[in-house]
Amino acid sequence: MINNKTAGMSAAERKAFYLSRLYMILPIISVSLLILLWTTVARNSEFPSPKDTFDRLILLFQKPIKGLNIFGHVWASLVRVFAALTFNWTFGIAFGILIGWNKKCKVLFTPLFNAFRAIPPLAWIPLITIWMGTGELSKILIVIFGSLASIVVNTQAGMSNVEQLYLDVGTIFNANARQKLFQIAIPSALDAIFAGVRTSTSAAWMVVLAAEMLGAKSGVGFLITRGMDSIDMPLVLMSMIAIGIVGALLSIITQFAERLMCPWTRKRSD
Amino acid sequence: MNPKSLSNSERVALIQKQRKRTQYQDAVLSVVGILGFLIFWQVITVTGIVESRYLSTPVQIASLFITKLTSPNPDGAVIGVNILSSLTIALSGFGLAIVIGIPLGLVMGWYKGFDSFMRPLFEIIRPIPPVSWIPLTIVWLGIGLTAKAIIVFFAAFVPCLINSYTGIRQTSEVLKNVAKTCGASNFTIFWKIGIPSSMTLTFAGIKVAIGNAWATLVAAEMLAASSGLGYMILMGRQFGRVDLVILGIVVIGVIGTIITMLIGMLENKVLGWKKL
Repeated sequence: MINNKTAGMSAAERKAFYLSRLYMILPIISVSLLILLWTTVARNSEFPSPKDTFDRLILLFQKPIKGLNIFGHVWASLVRVFAALTFNWTFGIAFGILIGWNKKCKVLFTPLFNAFRAIPPLAWIPLITIWMGTGELSKILIVIFGSLASIVVNTQAGMSNVEQLYLDVGTIFNANARQKLFQIAIPSALDAIFAGVRTSTSAAWMVVLAAEMLGAKSGVGFLITRGMDSIDMPLVLMSMIAIGIVGALLSIITQFAERLMCPWTRKRSD
Repeated sequence: MNPKSLSNSERVALIQKQRKRTQYQDAVLSVVGILGFLIFWQVITVTGIVESRYLSTPVQIASLFITKLTSPNPDGAVIGVNILSSLTIALSGFGLAIVIGIPLGLVMGWYKGFDSFMRPLFEIIRPIPPVSWIPLTIVWLGIGLTAKAIIVFFAAFVPCLINSYTGIRQTSEVLKNVAKTCGASNFTIFWKIGIPSSMTLTFAGIKVAIGNAWATLVAAEMLAASSGLGYMILMGRQFGRVDLVILGIVVIGVIGTIITMLIGMLENKVLGWKKL
């Protein structure tokens, strides 16, 4: 049967055909090796096996922690992320456009902004908890601080790299400054802005986790610390997997949104 | 309208003068930005608009910095020791990420078979934020240097790998074909053409990686440490010492900036041939 498929091929073609088959099988081999490694390590040590982890997930549905099952905790984290991102996308993009478009604003704010950007988002956590306790607002503020920089930097880069030719064409057609900004510069910076949206989303997801690990009563970060404190390793591992899946989903969704909003970038990103 | 036509040299001089003036204005404006912020900060704290419990003045922070140079109170180490211990962790994790991540990315980007083997594993690890490795590494390795270095490694590893991978994949086909025509083996092409041409993106990755490493370090030290800048900040919060917290933040920011500048200089040195 297989020989029929390769019958009409030259030696080089046959080699390429077998190689492409091999490339299709290799990922499956590597993932199964990983799972095999995981189970053998689990059998010979305290480390939880895949089955333990899955059982822990079922147990979490039967006996929720703080009244929330895994979806509840993921949702609690997501709400914080979205609240912060909504703020960042409005103010971050506006600020990025301001310092990317206006030269004077750029020189006035850039050093200050760079100074703030140099500070890791997580370093703000103690200061913010001194200011506003450990409530919901302080966590959202930490996420805002953590993901603001990437969107501002990207927007600013996009706005200051607008093709001069487009602007000159606008000038020739008597466009006023406002038209040049809204009809030429912002649309042409849209792909850079969307790159910022993507990085800020993944940054926010990472920061919310750290914020929750340092003190919260819900959320996936809280689940991890809870697992660590009660030496419940299956719980830790399960939360890590949940975090990974949600993070991957978030990046897929933002990528999809980018394709929808600016389809012309598709070629370049491949 | 035009009083006199300018000669060429006069025109050049005029433009240069204008350019100098804008440069001067820009410098003044950026200094004004920073100074304005510091003065605003000093004023709102001194006049008591913001309580001193919540925010100390810039002057207090500066004087605390000088005190901390010699006094280990209240977190148990002078600032030099804290900086040194943080730097050791960050640089060992970062160094490990460079030594492992970049070669792995280069090989993955060049050899298809290896790529299809490693890629799924990498895609599984990638979306898990480095911070969430902290509990596992604590269980495996305790809270020593290795554990923290591993956490930093996870943060710095991903950008190193992705960038060197993308960089080597963007190697120009023309260059590869020229080498092939001249009879170079696949490995020679990889070594002599692929790696040098991937270096621009690789360095961009290194820059991102050092930023990530430095940022994650703070988290690692806050969750498990007995010295270091992150620990100092955390102690500041526990003692309600807002000045200590702000000092820690400022020092972390300044050191991060210095490291980024050093890497930029290294990049200029290594990639000088790329700049025209």
